[in-house]
Amino acid sequence: MISQFFVLSQRGDNIVFRDYLYKARLKRLVIVTTDRGEVAKGSAEIFFRKVKFWKEDGQEEAPPVFNVDGVNYFHVKVVGLLFVATTRVNVSPSLVLELLQRIARVIKDYLGVLSEDSLRKNFVLVYELLDEVIDFGYMQTTSTEVLKAYIFNEPIVVDAARLQPLGPAAIFMQGTKRMPGTAITKSVVANEPGGRKREEIFVDIIEKISVTFSSSGYILTSEIDGTIQMKSYLTGNPEIRLALNEDLSIGRGGESANDYRSSYGSGAVILDDCNFHESVRLDSFDMDRTLALVPPDGEFPVMNYRMTQEFKPPFHINCLIEEAGHLKAEVILKVRAEFPSNITANTVVLEMPLPKYTTRASFELEPGVTGQRTDFKGAIKKLEWDLEKFVGGVEHTLRAKLTFSQELHANITKEAGPVSMTFTIPMYNVSRLQVKYLQIAKKSSSYNPYRWVRYVTQANSYVARI
Amino acid sequence: MSGHDSKYFSTTKKGEIPELKEELNSQHRDKRKDAVKKVIAAMTVGKDVSSLFTDVVNCMQTENLELKKLVYLYLINYAKSQPDLAILAVNTFVKDSQDPNPLIRALAVRTMGCIRVDKITEYLCDPLQRCLKDDDPYVRKTAAVCVAKLYDINAELVEDRGFLESLKDLISDNNPMVVANAVAALAEIQEHSSRPIFEITSHTLSKLLTALNECTEWGQVFILDALSRYKAADAREAENIVERITPRLQHANCAVVLSAVKMILLQMELISSTDVVRNLCKKMAPPLVTLLSAEPEIQYVALRNINLIVQKRPTILAHEIKVFFCKYNDPIYVKMEKLEIMIKLASDRNIDQVLLEFKEYATEVDVDFVRRAVRAIGRCAIKLDRAAERCISVLLELIKIKVNYVVQEAIIVIKDIFRRYPNMYESIIATLCESLDTLDEPEAKASMIWIIGEYAERIDNADELLESFLESFPEEPPQVQLQLLTATVKLFLKKPTEGPQQMIQVVLNNATVETDNPDLRDRAYIYWRLLSTDPEAAKDVVLAEKPVISDDSNQLDPSLLDELLANIATLSSVYHKPPDAFVTRAKTASQRTEDDDYPDGNEKGYSANVGDGGASPSTSSSSVPYTAARQPSPAQVMPAPASPVPDLLCDLIGLDNNAIVPADQPAMPSGPPLPILLPASTGQGLQISAQLARQDGQIFYSLMFENNSQITLDGFMIQFNKNSFGLAAAGPLQFPPLAPGAAARTLLPMVLFQNMSPGPPSSLLQVAVKNNQQPVWYFNDKILLHVFFSEDGRMERTSFLEVRSLFHIALVYCGTKLSKPYIMKDHTAERSSSMSIWSVMFVTWRSLPDSNEILKEFPGIMVSSAETTMDRLAASNVFFIAKRKHANQDVLYFSAKIPRGIPFLIELTTVIGNPGVKCATKTPNPELAPLFFEAIETLLKI
Repeated sequence: MISQFFVLSQRGDNIVFRDYLYKARLKRLVIVTTDRGEVAKGSAEIFFRKVKFWKEDGQEEAPPVFNVDGVNYFHVKVVGLLFVATTRVNVSPSLVLELLQRIARVIKDYLGVLSEDSLRKNFVLVYELLDEVIDFGYMQTTSTEVLKAYIFNEPIVVDAARLQPLGPAAIFMQGTKRMPGTAITKSVVANEPGGRKREEIFVDIIEKISVTFSSSGYILTSEIDGTIQMKSYLTGNPEIRLALNEDLSIGRGGESANDYRSSYGSGAVILDDCNFHESVRLDSFDMDRTLALVPPDGEFPVMNYRMTQEFKPPFHINCLIEEAGHLKAEVILKVRAEFPSNITANTVVLEMPLPKYTTRASFELEPGVTGQRTDFKGAIKKLEWDLEKFVGGVEHTLRAKLTFSQELHANITKEAGPVSMTFTIPMYNVSRLQVKYLQIAKKSSSYNPYRWVRYVTQANSYVARI
Repeated sequence: MSGHDSKYFSTTKKGEIPELKEELNSQHRDKRKDAVKKVIAAMTVGKDVSSLFTDVVNCMQTENLELKKLVYLYLINYAKSQPDLAILAVNTFVKDSQDPNPLIRALAVRTMGCIRVDKITEYLCDPLQRCLKDDDPYVRKTAAVCVAKLYDINAELVEDRGFLESLKDLISDNNPMVVANAVAALAEIQEHSSRPIFEITSHTLSKLLTALNECTEWGQVFILDALSRYKAADAREAENIVERITPRLQHANCAVVLSAVKMILLQMELISSTDVVRNLCKKMAPPLVTLLSAEPEIQYVALRNINLIVQKRPTILAHEIKVFFCKYNDPIYVKMEKLEIMIKLASDRNIDQVLLEFKEYATEVDVDFVRRAVRAIGRCAIKLDRAAERCISVLLELIKIKVNYVVQEAIIVIKDIFRRYPNMYESIIATLCESLDTLDEPEAKASMIWIIGEYAERIDNADELLESFLESFPEEPPQVQLQLLTATVKLFLKKPTEGPQQMIQVVLNNATVETDNPDLRDRAYIYWRLLSTDPEAAKDVVLAEKPVISDDSNQLDPSLLDELLANIATLSSVYHKPPDAFVTRAKTASQRTEDDDYPDGNEKGYSANVGDGGASPSTSSSSVPYTAARQPSPAQVMPAPASPVPDLLCDLIGLDNNAIVPADQPAMPSGPPLPILLPASTGQGLQISAQLARQDGQIFYSLMFENNSQITLDGFMIQFNKNSFGLAAAGPLQFPPLAPGAAARTLLPMVLFQNMSPGPPSSLLQVAVKNNQQPVWYFNDKILLHVFFSEDGRMERTSFLEVRSLFHIALVYCGTKLSKPYIMKDHTAERSSSMSIWSVMFVTWRSLPDSNEILKEFPGIMVSSAETTMDRLAASNVFFIAKRKHANQDVLYFSAKIPRGIPFLIELTTVIGNPGVKCATKTPNPELAPLFFEAIETLLKI
């Protein structure tokens, strides 16, 4: 199975290193690379150099799995850290990659925050965890709940001043590009400074949407990747029941993704596929769409789902680019929010590559608007438009005048675009999948923990062609 | 505990070690714990704290688990360097393994297995035995893994103490975690043993299927991967297995899903009912697509696997092409894989959609991605003839944008399209010619020149166009020069006017006298002679109709595909290479050196960047040729001839008595001296000398026995262990009883390919000889490759024209489009069936990049006369082909062949009369090169 596991910083420093041996007769332990890290240093250094200067098959980004001199390296990037495993045998790569993601998640569960700083401050705890997670290269468990029985070190929470704000608002903090952390930066094991733990449970419905609009505004592809994520701080692990939409159905029969069922508006939520966490019991799922589970500690996805059923895209993008005289052109970018006005999207960014001979771009926003920023990135010939807030039902327009240094070869639309957009819309989800109720089984009538059910929609790949 | 761990990194002003020592011996437990933490912190930053060993070990006896774990951590790191002191810890280990607290029991067993000190290993056995039968599942599962650890340290011990049986018993354990670890440990042990240790019977199958439902996600993968080695008896059993596995497709862990997919695909091979198969395909599609919603790293693995699956079963995802459309924020490695799959799934039904996507990608920012997208359009044109026209119009549209790299890429694929659809789309040549002067990449330039030459009669100013390139001929890269040469010849043959005639003289002069490139020179000479002897024949050859190509780029060979499909959900399926191409494993139970840590040793192995050495404008294929990637380094494939491995030789003289042949016929001790392999001192007076030899096209084992003992020896039998060439005795060993002081000699006929040992070729030949009076004698011999050189290794001399035409075809193919030897074979079969494959290979290799060529120098060898060397080599079936002079050096070419038609082409470069011979060989089986060089060296030395 795996021979070594290590975590490297962005600069390539060894933060954590564990050798589960194989050929290496010694288990080695090196946290900070110094001259004693001989062999250990070897593979981490080889790896880092390879990743940093990757240039193969015409690609400049190293794939997550590659082989150097008979050693197979796996890596994932989590909040700027490189989680790496090595092996010499023909293992299941998805197994190792999943493991790396899980290790990151378990460490975050324990430390509250995953960062170079928190790893260094908690190195003893991290090694204790790693010893329980992997034995002789074989995965034992990555369940925070199970691990609690074997872990004795207490986490040292990193500097409180640098902690991200707790509570539901934290969801609106931008996580990493793909895995929006549910942003609870609170360790599952550490007690709050104030003493008693607060009884609370978070259920987040996170939907990442991908939409491609054709140049004439039609939807070419649309897809929702959804997760119901849970993080429980309830003592005594009570059973939880989650009820979803009753009209939820799964599988699109023999239909293909190429033809949409015109179910839009009919109300039914049709998932293409879904899967569940192993703690979920589906006894009554077929009957009343209820999930029963005893949530383990730590953050985990209760259910992942995927949808290609048509939905109403939250933003409509209209982009016009026209030549306006010799060596000049004008871009008009209109974006309309197609969701109710009591909802506000934030951290909205639109980007558009411009023709490569563009030398200057001057922008014109609507008169009187605030919280918007425009930028022309000369080096990469890209237009950027940031909007701090975007209220539902509103339309915003940006005009840009471009100047070129050379005559364009062909149709200008071929040399510019597409427009891509990123955004986060709290308390809104496009699939209409809902948690109808969240029931916590506990006898006492006075027991009333906080329940947070939160929805968020994020752009994955939101693109309008021109 | 207060503060945080990083405070332990701070140093104090006075001596650190004495201070720590004091603290470690403190009365207060908390102080001791803090001290151990400080020690660990010092250890991790590389400070040597081994001098505190005794003090730290003294802290071991504590009920505090936190402290105990820290001490164990320290032990694992330093036990190795302090083996004598490590013994101090043994008592505590043994005691801990009987502690009432299961966590302490497990911790003790887990840690002991990580301390690789022989003296401790012995003490590990009893606690391990107990813990394997512990009441607590946590202890049992830890003990199961510990068996694998122990096997790695001392395999014999594991077998002697019956731990393997205990491990097998754990498969029936009622705790699924224990089952999973037992399976993992057995699989691990099997990996390192050549004997069958972990075989899955229908009985274990049902147990594992039951455990599957209950164990952790990781355990599920261990079990699924172990089960994938099980071969179902019939379709019904296969269907039953599939039924039990299918729910795993719903798992949130991608590794579980992929391992389940692998299992189902394997079982599907046995299922004959098309309904069942169709139904299974339908069930697998959604989970496979869902994998693409995971993190990009997982997506990449999923896409590489899907790439294989759709090659075998295109229907599974035939309707899902949209999910493979690239997202703008996909990492480049995901985008590239998606493109491949889009091409594979492209059909007449969806090609419009697909083209729309490709066109969009072709205007994106990332240059490499754009190029790949343009190529993808071309490949779709070649794949779908009804869509070819649409594809071409998209390409023309892209050319009009005049983005330099788009234009060049488009020209490269259009050349392929012309080859695929002759006489269909040549009307666009005029458009292509407009971009002529912007071409600066060799491949694009070469493609454009090929087009001009091929269609010279339709391009009015073809001579002008070509002429414009001629000025810079000497500076052009080789692939462009080759194309210019051929195109000019074509032009001349099509338009034999004054202009082209002058051009051809310039070109031929440039390509012969003025060049150092042998490929170019050889090709030019062939043309020159063709044109000067028989221009009509030249036309036949040069302007011959070319076979239509198909889009086979990135398509895997069916047998390789099957092998890879059996390895779905492993690294093999990500690299698209069979496991033995990148995994090196030693299947021995013997001790290895302690500190051979990686990464060292392996020089090459499989490396991700095996270039495709494309000196010629290759096909649209960008995949690395499989053979090239499979080329292992000599250092790696040659395991050092080890001392006889006991468990291997058990079956040598063991049960298989039929194969052991009685020796009763006399033979005369005569002939040349043989190397002594078993000295009399070792053989209790029996001395054995032997060597492989070749006589009259047959391989013999030439043997001489000398009896220096006091008794008569009789009943000789011989047995050969598995070896790389499957050498075995063809018949009984004929040997007379040997009186004391007597010697006898015999030639034992040998056969090949009987009992081949897997793995890279090795020269090791293990022999066992037995007689009625003595124990079995084992000795090692060395296989010298030259005994295999066969009499038919001579290159056939075919008529001049045939060679010429073939040569030319090979050049045209290699130079313009197809660098794949097998396509040439097909074609030549049509053209001249009398042609031997030999010549074809010869020309192929000459024109192939040199990556297939392996070099070795023999500094100590001197060739005093070329003739003597030729004769000597010929006597061993190494045949002379040609000779040339290069400066003051003589270059000799030879050919040889070993059974199964594996050829070697040899180039010897030397200065006659001076020491030092450079030997280069080209062979499709480069892994044999080390053995080959050994053989050649031996032959040259004689």
